[in-house]
Amino acid sequence: MNEPMGNRRGKRPNMFKKREELQRRKDELSRKPGNTRKKRTTTVALESISKQTSGGRELVEDWFSRQGWEPFQFQKETWDAYLKGESGLIHSSTGTGKTFAIWPAPLIEWLEESLSSGATEVTTPPLTVLWLTPLRALAGDTEKSLREMLDGLSLNWSLETRTGDTSASIKARQRKELPSALITTPESLSLLLSYADNQKMFANLKLVVVDEWHELMGTKRGTMTELALARLRVLNPNLRTWGMSATLGNTDEAMHTLCGINASTTRRITSDIDKEISFVSLLPESVENFPWAGHLGLPMVEQVAQTIEKAKTSLVFTNTRSQCEMWYQALLTVRPEWAGEIALHHGSLDRETRKFVEDAVRDSKLRCVVCTSSLDLGVDFAPVEQVLQLGSAKGIARLLQRAGRSGHKPGALSTVVCVPTHSFEIVEFAAARKALAAEKIESRRPLPKPLDVLSQHLVTLAVGGGFRLENVIAEIRSAYSYKNLSDIEFDWVVNFITKGGRALGAYPEYCKVQDYDGYYFVESDSVRQRHRMSIGTITSDDSMNVVFMSGERIGSLEESFIARLRPGDRFVFAGRCLELVRTKDMKAFVRLAPAKGGTVPRWMGGRMPLSSELSEAVREELGIAAQGSYESEEMRLVEPLLRLQETWSQIPDEKSVLVEHMQSREGYHLFIYPFEGRLVHEGLAALLAYRMSRLTPATFSLSINDYGFEMVSNIDIPIEMLSEHHMFNPENLADDILRSMNASEMARRRFREIARVAGLVFSGYPGKSKTSRQVQVSSGLLFDVFSEYDPENLLLHQAQREVLEQQLEESRLRKAMKRLSKSRLISVELQRPSPMALPLLVESWRGKVSTETIAERVSRMQLALTKKPPKATRTPIAKSKITQKTMLKKAAEESGSKVS
Amino acid sequence: MQTKISGHLEIEIQGESLILLPQRAIYWQREKTLLIADAHLGKAATFRAHNIAVPTGTTEKDLQVLSELIVKSGAEHLIFLGDLVHNKLGLTDRICSLILAWREHHSDIKITLVRGNHDRKIPSIAELMRLDIVEEPLVMKPFALKHHPEKDTAGYVLCGHTHPAVRLHGAGQKSLRLPCYVFEDHIGTLPAFGSFTGCADLEPTGSERIYVLAGDTVVEVH
Repeated sequence: MNEPMGNRRGKRPNMFKKREELQRRKDELSRKPGNTRKKRTTTVALESISKQTSGGRELVEDWFSRQGWEPFQFQKETWDAYLKGESGLIHSSTGTGKTFAIWPAPLIEWLEESLSSGATEVTTPPLTVLWLTPLRALAGDTEKSLREMLDGLSLNWSLETRTGDTSASIKARQRKELPSALITTPESLSLLLSYADNQKMFANLKLVVVDEWHELMGTKRGTMTELALARLRVLNPNLRTWGMSATLGNTDEAMHTLCGINASTTRRITSDIDKEISFVSLLPESVENFPWAGHLGLPMVEQVAQTIEKAKTSLVFTNTRSQCEMWYQALLTVRPEWAGEIALHHGSLDRETRKFVEDAVRDSKLRCVVCTSSLDLGVDFAPVEQVLQLGSAKGIARLLQRAGRSGHKPGALSTVVCVPTHSFEIVEFAAARKALAAEKIESRRPLPKPLDVLSQHLVTLAVGGGFRLENVIAEIRSAYSYKNLSDIEFDWVVNFITKGGRALGAYPEYCKVQDYDGYYFVESDSVRQRHRMSIGTITSDDSMNVVFMSGERIGSLEESFIARLRPGDRFVFAGRCLELVRTKDMKAFVRLAPAKGGTVPRWMGGRMPLSSELSEAVREELGIAAQGSYESEEMRLVEPLLRLQETWSQIPDEKSVLVEHMQSREGYHLFIYPFEGRLVHEGLAALLAYRMSRLTPATFSLSINDYGFEMVSNIDIPIEMLSEHHMFNPENLADDILRSMNASEMARRRFREIARVAGLVFSGYPGKSKTSRQVQVSSGLLFDVFSEYDPENLLLHQAQREVLEQQLEESRLRKAMKRLSKSRLISVELQRPSPMALPLLVESWRGKVSTETIAERVSRMQLALTKKPPKATRTPIAKSKITQKTMLKKAAEESGSKVS
Repeated sequence: MQTKISGHLEIEIQGESLILLPQRAIYWQREKTLLIADAHLGKAATFRAHNIAVPTGTTEKDLQVLSELIVKSGAEHLIFLGDLVHNKLGLTDRICSLILAWREHHSDIKITLVRGNHDRKIPSIAELMRLDIVEEPLVMKPFALKHHPEKDTAGYVLCGHTHPAVRLHGAGQKSLRLPCYVFEDHIGTLPAFGSFTGCADLEPTGSERIYVLAGDTVVEVH
């Protein structure tokens, strides 16, 4: 326990003895990387190649024709661009062929070089191609298709995979000698950079391929990839980077983010394979008895089952894991004979289970898999004939991605069947169809210079042989996300990893990274070891393993859910009804429960807001309906409801904002419909409540959905206040929003990930729990301590910025407010809730804007005395009963007595 | 004298009047004794020694709060219910000198430490803080002062160790988690005193009395 201290004290004087060693390392750093290239000994005759007279390119084309293929135009274009030394991005909306657009290129180059050298024998090349994949699960498939070509050409390239799943012995062997082509993840690449001999490892690297770049780009893993690429480009100035991506609204930006800002020539290549998508809505017979709110869609189960029957293999996409579990049960209830033919797939299930399901789909052994975004990516499912999307996909890009999971071969038809979970979603389908045709696809933005990732990366460099300050700053700024990194921010991060967080002065006792004349390195073995352990924990969450008493692992669930259960409580997970036996050592031991029933875990996150592209499309669609035109099948179905809306209130069009007001027993209701997605509405509602309560003291209770929001107050707010006092004015937006929402609590939660990435919280070494327990602390407590004792810490600012940008979508909110302040306000006094108001009345999300002190709040709060039952999604039965008919009747009864 | 500290709450246990202070300490009137649990002095320094960047200031603040409590309450005896110091590594020269200076300032007060799990490996603390270390329980009728929350035949147990907190639920999905004092039939647990200490959620059964620390005030919630 006292070792680290002892070591450190003992080592101080040693540091100077180490000067020689340091000098050597410094020399190594300044030397040209190429000089350290290692000589390979494995030599394989290239008879088959040397015998032939043709060049590398012909050999590759031969291989294509032996497969019965003809290289596509975009594939040849990519080879040419690569051979000219260019980097770039290959994108397409769906379909395949991207792998063989880039993989042959380095092979052609190597063949040409080998053949022109005149040698009859060539050695296996050292690491030449690095293939990054966002998902470990994709690595196996990628290896298979890359190997297919290597074998076909009888090349003596070695090809291996290195991910978190790779065994320690293979990893150790790879550390000594990497294969010619390595398939790995961003985390594993970062780990490789943390070894002192990384220059040697990457000395011969020619190409880095990043698969599914659109998935990585907007995340911290993407930022980490950018920084790793910046480092590799310093080691190999001629390195080429090629990405593969789905088409985005900002494909060019995606390319520049990938290639870095120093890339001289970059090329964007569009896959020219025409992919036809058949977009079908599975509609209820009438909307009369269809729910007007909710998100499960279980009334459609019979129709969905019938649709599944029509195809050999289907994927059923749900938006949340709980919905996934419920639908799996529901399908088995209506088709008990399908037991064994349908499966469940989501991110909380054990990896083995997921792999089993994936393999079964590939081998056409399953009729249907109910899944979440866990199957959005990659794995090649040739047998899938159709995709069903339960509920709105909330975005065009996601819908495209999911559609592309069926007919997953060039030229095949992709079929996506959209199943509504409530009536208004039918409008979304009509809008999505048009947006799809107009190719209005969402953008994904790279993260703006996250300092937690930068600090992790700098420590990685310091662990991996050290860095010189004057060199590294240009390297960091060559990464797109950090192009605007200021000197102050950079200095802060360097200070943070060497002396601690405070701008002036240092934290005593702390020195993670040593500064030796501008040369930064990590001396302590324990820091090195701990840092390597924490690389790659970016995505991990506090989850608990769920295991049977026998020890067999079923999957993992959030700790917060398990913590609410008591032994004997039942819950549905992995398609089974389980009973909690006990929890021990971060494991929840369970056994199968005899009877059906129990709660379905509610996972964090899950529900995505309506994207801005789809929101816009919905507004347009309503604008058309407002003119009395109902063209598509979907719109004709919802026509009765929209007509009702028109009679009782109005249908908002693109140029107006509808504000409905009403009085009930609860108070004075304001309904506003900007159609901007739930996150923007959440911010907007809180902001309006805050601004109004500044003019007239009032308390507001808020309710949100993707289409609008409701504000209930105890006093009558005159509608004129909205326009006269510039309530939608985007000025002072950031300040007002931070004041109106519980932003500090949100930042505190956000800090969890930041603290983990920046190495402030450490989950511990396996099997060394005792030692690490002394330095375990919750990120929330750290946040409080930083806020009080080092408020200028830039990681705190980052947490706040992330809340604004990612949780509240500030820039989208700003845009929405600009639009709203120019729009015409239509105010309608309701005699009874309009069809659009009803879902808001029953929405469970209720926020409050208050400025009370903690003590005041406590006085009104309740201690949950008897254990609160585990939070579960509302039972489908209760929800599905809320149909238009029943709700209207009920609401009319309720408000009727008061209003009319 | 106790009125000098605002926001407190007076309760009666075993016929004794105990004052629950918002600074996470109990003042026992009759014995003029201040009870503190889980101070974890030098915890942030332990983190820094492990090269985890945690700012300074927590131990300074804790000592300052202790000073104020002693002055305002007029306590003559200070009893730590275990886990006074987090770890030997955290007792750096700087932290030691802070503690020495603090002790100098309150040289008159008697200090006793009921040994907790974190204190086992730190014998030097007795000398440093000029305090007496006793093993649990320290019996001061009607109470048995301990670190661990275990029933004791010697009396009603006052202890620490668990760092209790409860979650309060408001309208909607709002909830608030606050450190608290918990008094059960035979055991009363104090919140952790140290400002760099976390807390663990308590599962209320309904039979206990719970007082939460709501900002500057102690509030009974059940």
